[in-house]
Amino acid sequence: MHRALNRHRNILDFALSSLMRRKAKNISLFLVYTLIIFVIASLIFFVQALKREAALLLTEAPDMVVQRMIAGRHDLIPTRYAEKIGAIRGVSAVVPRLWGYYYDPVFQANYTLLVPDTEPPPPGSIMIGSGVARNLRIKTDDLVTFRSYSGMPLLLTVTAILPQHSELVAADLVLMAAEDFQAMFRMPKDVATDLAITVANPRELVTVANKIVEQFPDTRPILKSELLRTYDSLFDWRGGMMVVMLAVAVLSFVIFAWDKASGLSAEERKEIGILKSIGWETGDVLLLKFWEGAVISLTAFLAGVLLAYLHVFFSSAALFSHALKGWAILYPQFKLVPAVDGYQLSVLFVLAVLPYTAATIIPAWLAATIAPDAAMRS
Amino acid sequence: MTRYFILFAVIAGFWLQGLTALAAPVTPVPGPKDKCPVCGMFVHKYPAWTTVISFNDGSRAWFDGTKDLFNYLNNLPRFAPGKTAAMVAAIQVRDYYSLKLIDARTAFYVIGSNVYGPMGHELIPLARQDEAQEFLKDHAGRRIVRYHEITPALLKTLE
Repeated sequence: MHRALNRHRNILDFALSSLMRRKAKNISLFLVYTLIIFVIASLIFFVQALKREAALLLTEAPDMVVQRMIAGRHDLIPTRYAEKIGAIRGVSAVVPRLWGYYYDPVFQANYTLLVPDTEPPPPGSIMIGSGVARNLRIKTDDLVTFRSYSGMPLLLTVTAILPQHSELVAADLVLMAAEDFQAMFRMPKDVATDLAITVANPRELVTVANKIVEQFPDTRPILKSELLRTYDSLFDWRGGMMVVMLAVAVLSFVIFAWDKASGLSAEERKEIGILKSIGWETGDVLLLKFWEGAVISLTAFLAGVLLAYLHVFFSSAALFSHALKGWAILYPQFKLVPAVDGYQLSVLFVLAVLPYTAATIIPAWLAATIAPDAAMRS
Repeated sequence: MTRYFILFAVIAGFWLQGLTALAAPVTPVPGPKDKCPVCGMFVHKYPAWTTVISFNDGSRAWFDGTKDLFNYLNNLPRFAPGKTAAMVAAIQVRDYYSLKLIDARTAFYVIGSNVYGPMGHELIPLARQDEAQEFLKDHAGRRIVRYHEITPALLKTLE
């Protein structure tokens, strides 16, 4: 046991010194390798984090949302619709919702205003997301002024700052009482932004939606499954767009790695011949080449993944956030909550490290199996 | 050390008490290992379809649909040797609209509709007659049947 370990240690020692001897070649190899792993891992982390944010957003989403449309545009829905929709068979609850956007001209940011249906804050007080708090530089118990549609300023007390479960979802959120919301936008009391509908049996959703459209031709029901599909295709499309780019990157890497690793130079061939003539066995030579490949690919993999993690979760994916986060909401600070998928990382590991190691061993094996003098002479 | 043990015992005691207090009135829920005795499928995957027969010895039989429940009831010696019709304490089916368990004897069943269960054609249970009529209209059902009308011959037509 101890002997085998020693043998490995000696061969690893030799592999490292032989890597050092061809410094320029190996450093350039390491850099390109790291760069590619970095790009792929960044993308995996980024898409994973975005998907997590979307999933968080949608777990709370109602089974169905009913909006009123006028001339194809969204309009406020009268709350009396709620009673009639509630009477449709299969509907277990109808909740009128009040929500909207507020543009803060001073800080040039958009906030999402929402009246929560369970435990709304008492009139005159609000709960705000961390992004809003950061932007307004306020904390709990501070006063905030919003400009209402009547031109009068609306004074509100901050009672709580929402926990940071999801920066993307909750950062720009302002929770307020229905009275404040109506005063702010001069909204009549008998209308809502939309209706959230709960249907006990998901199989009945489509039938309920059809009945709603039949009774109220001016409404548009939106199913949660449609929302999910939209979000999925959004992220998948964005992921998909990057995947096409990545396929090109991976392919060029494969060509590069193959070229660098498989073509043994005359010098390396000679070295193998010398090693064999001084008594190394073919197995030792293979072990040496395996260690050389493993040292490069493992360090490049670890460095690439580490850099990608720093890039995505500490610098907020600075390199491709502009391409991927296209939406117009202003985030004073956009930080993704770390979400790492072990499965995808292992796939990346298998796809990146194993082929490279194989590509270094096979030509060495071919060179090591011929007679030493032939190897040295060629 | 002993103090912690006593604390632990007290907490565990409360917990167990809470469990038994909760267990009594709650409607039964199938476990992850409960299989339909008629078709052999795990029933917890179909929460919208599970139906149950409770026996007076405390045991329960779970089904992934109404059809299998009636096939079982009509063939007790084959599916449940040792159990008799007299031992059946409660038969509960799942109301289509509310997804709650309701008494099978008072339910209205729609057959021939375009709603299929895990086992294909189904008897769709509904709590009230007006609900059954609306379901029949919405989902192109053939007719409404009551508990005593569900015979092996009728079940045969649903296969």
